[in-house]
Amino acid sequence: MSERATHCTSSGIPLEEAGSTTFPCPGCFKPIGRSSRVRNQGVPYKCPNCGFVGP
Amino acid sequence: MSEETSLLVSAETYEENAVNIGTQQKSTDMGRFIERVREDGLYLLDIPTTDARIRSIAALLNTFDAPSIMVVSARQYGQRPARLFAEAVGAHSAVGRFIPGSLTNPALRSYIEPDVLFVTDPANDQQALREAVATGLPIVGIVDANNHLRNVDVALPANNKGRRSLALIYWLLAREVLKVRGETTDEAWAEANDLADWESTF
Ligand SMILES: [Zn+2]
Repeated sequence: MSERATHCTSSGIPLEEAGSTTFPCPGCFKPIGRSSRVRNQGVPYKCPNCGFVGP
Repeated sequence: MSEETSLLVSAETYEENAVNIGTQQKSTDMGRFIERVREDGLYLLDIPTTDARIRSIAALLNTFDAPSIMVVSARQYGQRPARLFAEAVGAHSAVGRFIPGSLTNPALRSYIEPDVLFVTDPANDQQALREAVATGLPIVGIVDANNHLRNVDVALPANNKGRRSLALIYWLLAREVLKVRGETTDEAWAEANDLADWESTF
């Protein structure tokens, strides 16, 4: 798989816990990170590189 | 170039297949994907947004090795199109009842280790969703007006309940994935794949 994020794109916390994930930004393929909390709460993220807003 | 001409298929095609027809209820998460409320109370999804998401999700899926993409559909109308999509792009599909542990229990025969999960409906495909979360997989999902974005990492806003809508979504997504790879064109795809044939037959 491609480059992995080390921090949550929304909250900035390190991605260490189970339930977090990393994937390429659908807009520019730079890594996006999401902590288990932001995933569980459906918290939006914005790609710092291209501005893609997810989920 | 107008918005209309830049869509993957015409707005009429999306409408005829009810891709933009949401539900009577709207979740707060889905507000930004909704265009308007119809007089009968149905929430309509924004077609240009759906279209743009199909493109970006096709590109995203192509960053993964095809066999490491897992597509699931517990919902009946999604089963045939999800399976045909997986066959067309070389992904793995699990349709019908999702066997618990398929992503978490290496002792099971159904056990696999994909790199990304694609769900037809986050509410119906809850078991797969939970296991993907537990194993740190990113999750892409078709989300309807009443779905929540909980544990969905990339949303494809569309009617995920209708037979024709699910056929068109998966048919288009397959075409776009293969176009990114340079393996098909709009014309070649339409000639080889009758959209009606992608519809669930039961
Ligand atoms: Zn980006």
